Amino acid sequence: MKIDIQAILNKLGIEEVNQGVSTGAQWFDTDGKINKSSSPVDGKFIASVKTATLEDYETVVKKAEAAFKEWRLVPAPERGEVVRQIGNAIREYKHELGALVSYEMGKIYQEGLGEVQEMIDICDFAVGQSRLINGVALQSERPYHRLSEQYHPLGIVGIVTSYNFPVAVWAWNSALAAIAGDVVIWKPSSKTPLVALATQKIIQQVLIDNNVPEGVFNLVVGRSSVMGDNFLSDKRIPLISVTGSTAVGRRAAELVGKRLGKTLLELGGNNAVTITPNADIEMAIMSTVFGTVGTAGQRCTTTRRVIIHEDIYDQVRDSFVKAYEKIADKIGSPLDEKYLVGPLIDGHSVELFIDAVKRVKEEGGKVIFGGQVLVGEGYESGNYVMPCIAEAENHFDIVQHETFAPIVYLIKYSGDVQNAIDIQNDVPQGLSSAIFTLNMREAEHFIAQTGSDCGIANVNLGTSGAEIGGAFGGEKDTGGGRESGSDAWKVYMRRQTNTINYGSTLPLAQGVKFDI
Amino acid sequence: MITKEIAIEDLVEDYPFTVLFLKEKGIRCIMCGEPIWGTLEDACKEKEFSEEKIKTIVEELNQLANK
Repeated sequence: MKIDIQAILNKLGIEEVNQGVSTGAQWFDTDGKINKSSSPVDGKFIASVKTATLEDYETVVKKAEAAFKEWRLVPAPERGEVVRQIGNAIREYKHELGALVSYEMGKIYQEGLGEVQEMIDICDFAVGQSRLINGVALQSERPYHRLSEQYHPLGIVGIVTSYNFPVAVWAWNSALAAIAGDVVIWKPSSKTPLVALATQKIIQQVLIDNNVPEGVFNLVVGRSSVMGDNFLSDKRIPLISVTGSTAVGRRAAELVGKRLGKTLLELGGNNAVTITPNADIEMAIMSTVFGTVGTAGQRCTTTRRVIIHEDIYDQVRDSFVKAYEKIADKIGSPLDEKYLVGPLIDGHSVELFIDAVKRVKEEGGKVIFGGQVLVGEGYESGNYVMPCIAEAENHFDIVQHETFAPIVYLIKYSGDVQNAIDIQNDVPQGLSSAIFTLNMREAEHFIAQTGSDCGIANVNLGTSGAEIGGAFGGEKDTGGGRESGSDAWKVYMRRQTNTINYGSTLPLAQGVKFDI
Repeated sequence: MITKEIAIEDLVEDYPFTVLFLKEKGIRCIMCGEPIWGTLEDACKEKEFSEEKIKTIVEELNQLANK
């Protein structure tokens, strides 16, 4: 299938130079630094965005504050109806938006489509949730009293997204925030501003058709000097959601914490797959390879470590190498469906990949496959690398850090499954984990309280590729936040406890006597 | 000219060589594929570098940038 990028840009309303600030249907002619977006696929310039100034930021926050006062009064199911229409609008543009995600970010087209499908799925989820924003009725200790809890809208939600899921993460946050009665200000990654603009343009007709106030869905493409510490420190924004590195998340936690705001942090991972002697090895290899090289190793849930029992280590290692040999012929333009692995986002990521390969050798590891930059026809952008397999030990400094590239470390364990779990947990991060075993005891042990310490613990499937229905996030340096499904909607709301006295006396709690 | 007040985002964009240079000094400017937030000084202070050391790093960066 031939994808015509110019036709896609035209259909999505992306021009050569674009405005980078919107409060919904309205766009602002900004005066900030020009952000030139180039494709990691072929290195070509795609389009420019005029980024925000501090004045633009202030204008947007004021619009958002005013919009919140109206939006919170719209019944939640009506807010859900708007989100339903947003989901449908995204459906109409699934091919175009998926292709632009692929071209601007570098993930293969199928994954670009998958990302847009996630946006649609979370909109569907949020529509249902809009009729189920439920509190609880509790039992009062006092006669003729009713005790209950309810949830109210919170206010402005700041959303910081990363380049690797440049639009899905916005959807996870904003669909739930919108049905909760909140308004959002989105700071997209500076590396992928065009897909953010395209998303805003896709939804704007829905906002016009439904008379949604300007300021409910805001987009601000801005440098960290404009949308950085000031954004995090802004008391008018009760919740900041950050998807990104542990470093940025820690900064957000400090600055938002200082003003006693709320954060939702979804940060780095160092995800491991454990393969026990009781595994279906063929299934384990197939699944794990998707986890290690999918999105060229640039998912927060990418499998970084594979912990293999010594009895099957040689067999699994050799199978991995064979699988990678097949992958080696499938690295190329992500817009060409014959390829399974696209480029890294830019030259910095390539440098850090090469540096990690060097470091693992220096620390005593052994590279057994790949690790080089690809050159030649089709690789002119310089961003394509051969995925790397290295034999390593868990305590290596390089293994303890997340390298956002396709390098996987094979680690041997001996004895029972607890030893593998201990290795898995012995890293600062705690996002995703998986075990391959057909042994029920091992599987249950892995997900028990003494098992994986991650936010996601899977059995007989890999670490990446979560569904929107479950809460997504992790522990330790991953930040502790939960986005997307389950009861993640609660973070976008404030909880209120109500006690109502419908009697004619005034009994105090705990039986306290206070007679005047 | 590079100063300690430069945003990391601008530093790595305008002077790409700084990513590996600072990594050797223990400062990871790019994490999860994105520049970290804050200034060069913020990043140095997070590593508890002294004012003297920060000054030296800025001088070295400028020397490399002018090569």
